[in-house]
Amino acid sequence: MASISERNGARQGEWTLALRYSALGMLLIAPAILVFCAVIVYPLVSTIHLSLFSIFTPTLQGHWVGLENYADLLSSSTFWNALRNNLIWTAGTLFVQVVAGVALALLLNNNNVVFRPLAQSLVLFPYFVSTVVAVLVWRWLFNDLYGILNHFMLQLGLIDMPINWLGQMPNAMISVILVGAWKYFPFVVIAVLARLQTIPPQLYEAATMDGAGPWGRFFDVTLPQLRGVLTVVILLRTVWDFKEFDLIYLLTGGGPINATQTLPLLVYQQAFGLNRMGMAAAYAVVMMAVMLVFMSLYLYRFRRGEEAA
Amino acid sequence: MFALHHIARPQSPTTRRGKSPVPNEVVRKASPPKGQGISRRSLLRGAGVAAAAAGLNLSYPRRARADDVTLRWWSPQSSPGQLAAYKKQIATFEAAHPGVKVVFEPTSDEGYSAQLAAAFAAKQQPDVITHLPSFAVQTYYAQGLVEPFDDVIQAIGPDKYYPGANNVYKTADGRYCGTGIGNTAADMLWVRKDLLEKAGIGEIPTTWDALRAACKKMQTGGIYGAPLPYGLNSMTSLIIVGFIHRAGGNVFAPNLEVAIDSDATAKALDFYKSMKDLCPPGATNYSWGESVTAFVSGATATGIYAGRVLQNVRNQNPSIADFITCTTYPTISKDIPAWTFNDFPSIWIPKGSARLAEAKLFAAFLLDPPGYIEQLLAAPGHVLPVLKTIATNPDYLANPIIQKYKSEVDLMAAAAAGGYNLGFETAGHKPNPKANDIIASNVLAEMVGRAVLNGDNTKAVLGDTAKKLADLMKG
Repeated sequence: MASISERNGARQGEWTLALRYSALGMLLIAPAILVFCAVIVYPLVSTIHLSLFSIFTPTLQGHWVGLENYADLLSSSTFWNALRNNLIWTAGTLFVQVVAGVALALLLNNNNVVFRPLAQSLVLFPYFVSTVVAVLVWRWLFNDLYGILNHFMLQLGLIDMPINWLGQMPNAMISVILVGAWKYFPFVVIAVLARLQTIPPQLYEAATMDGAGPWGRFFDVTLPQLRGVLTVVILLRTVWDFKEFDLIYLLTGGGPINATQTLPLLVYQQAFGLNRMGMAAAYAVVMMAVMLVFMSLYLYRFRRGEEAA
Repeated sequence: MFALHHIARPQSPTTRRGKSPVPNEVVRKASPPKGQGISRRSLLRGAGVAAAAAGLNLSYPRRARADDVTLRWWSPQSSPGQLAAYKKQIATFEAAHPGVKVVFEPTSDEGYSAQLAAAFAAKQQPDVITHLPSFAVQTYYAQGLVEPFDDVIQAIGPDKYYPGANNVYKTADGRYCGTGIGNTAADMLWVRKDLLEKAGIGEIPTTWDALRAACKKMQTGGIYGAPLPYGLNSMTSLIIVGFIHRAGGNVFAPNLEVAIDSDATAKALDFYKSMKDLCPPGATNYSWGESVTAFVSGATATGIYAGRVLQNVRNQNPSIADFITCTTYPTISKDIPAWTFNDFPSIWIPKGSARLAEAKLFAAFLLDPPGYIEQLLAAPGHVLPVLKTIATNPDYLANPIIQKYKSEVDLMAAAAAGGYNLGFETAGHKPNPKANDIIASNVLAEMVGRAVLNGDNTKAVLGDTAKKLADLMKG
């Protein structure tokens, strides 16, 4: 039987081994931590720090203003207008992306579709094409004088005069939402299609035997099965759409007047148009706060829903 | 430990053919004890280090010459013809200055402000910038971002300039912040003589009422009257400044107090609003490109642009080439004199260039004929010569477009020479060092949008705009 000192020695040896394993583990994840700190933590802390100063962009010189940037921002009608536009754009394009994405994924999941592999490849095209190229093409499609949309509609007698797609409300916001949905819905298609292909067909057979029609099978079998992937897709697309800059900037520039000006465009205008880097950082921090609130609520509701299920 | 520092030395070509770079005595010292051989771990370690060293060596750039200098040149004027002219100028300069390379990087009228802000912040500003409006240079100079240009003007030859051509570049501290690379009459009224005749209009309008009436008569058969810009962009801002002056008003008083909240501005906005139905529907989003294309393509009976119309019509729509002409833009009444927007396209050098001497040489070289003439003729009538010696040069005058439209080009040259811009509204105004910030903020374009597109109360809009301008001037 081991003596107390021998048992203590053995335990000390175990502790030393455990410490060594811990140290080895930390060493192995250190590169990932460093990268995380470099690309996420440092920019975040840096942005918050910048937002407390009034900084002139070209020289990056400035002075401390504390929370004055936030006070100015929150009392500015420009901010609230941009936030409202941001929410409308995000909700609108997300809705169309999800509906169109799920619909097309259901279609592509059908083995009877002719040239299905080709269709599955082509559906990805909008996602892969450069945003600049896509927007330039859409601007020509929407052009009042030379655009093919107006041309066809005039030829078909649907309209008497060309429609101002991008320079008049609500056309401008609708156009931006539709172009955004066209550009990004393939992401939803890919994710949903992958999940659809793993749903056991027996579930559909059972539902059919229980008398469920197509809509019944969709709401009672397909949609619950898609819940997990849709949660992730909606979360990701919401974050990405909320911070979308180039598509809106190139399509309308925030116009007409400020009708499609969103928060990312305001950040750009503050940072590089008005040379107010500190205020731009404040806008960015507020954007992050809005997204954090949304994500927290969303995940809370999702977890409650899962617990209830 | 294996002799890593010997392995890490870049290998010579002979060693890449298999000969060991390591002296034999080093190999003998690093070898394991006799009888044991080289361990697999040592071999792998050595091979990995050697592979890394070889990779480094392969990607190691050819050592640059100590005296090689590369100048970066930005300009928003970069049509294909202009790019070709720049290429020749660069080649000539490089041939005359061995060891100096010049790289041209295009920017844009709408984007240069943001690009320069980022470039300065990143200490990546170019060495020479051309064709930005004079007020942009003044704004940057006031922010301490521009090299004084006095010696470059001396090198070019002050006597070669038209009298007073460099006045817009004179700074508050008595230096010159840049010089002109040309003149531009940016808001000439372009008209289609055939459409005027068809509408029974005997003469080109000289007042706003006459212009509006003419546009109404000519707006028929799918052709609109005018392509005025109403978008949230720099063209709308710069064009409305001209209309304010043509109504007898100012944006700022000569002492730079805000003066936009005036009857003249209200009348300018009223006229601008009345013209909206005579413009294509997409004019609510128009900037420079859309506006000039609308006239050149024949979609509108009148245009508002600089001399590039001439070349664009010749290249894109020659069927109307014989029917276009231009004049100074009409004013509210015959009592108000013409006011032409000249952005006085500039040459200037950002502060902080590590290649200042070469940059100044290149800046002066840009006005040397024949390269300068070729550059001007890449867009004939658009950027007009700022040197007397060039304007009368037979090579310049021999250009077919200049010859065909001699009266138009002469008129544009005279209008531009007597022109102004937001940085310098009249001869009696102080230079406005915040003009570029004002344009970049889109305050004036927003004023147009609110009053014209939204139909907001004009007085309220002018009050808000005046306040925003005052804040920008303070900031």
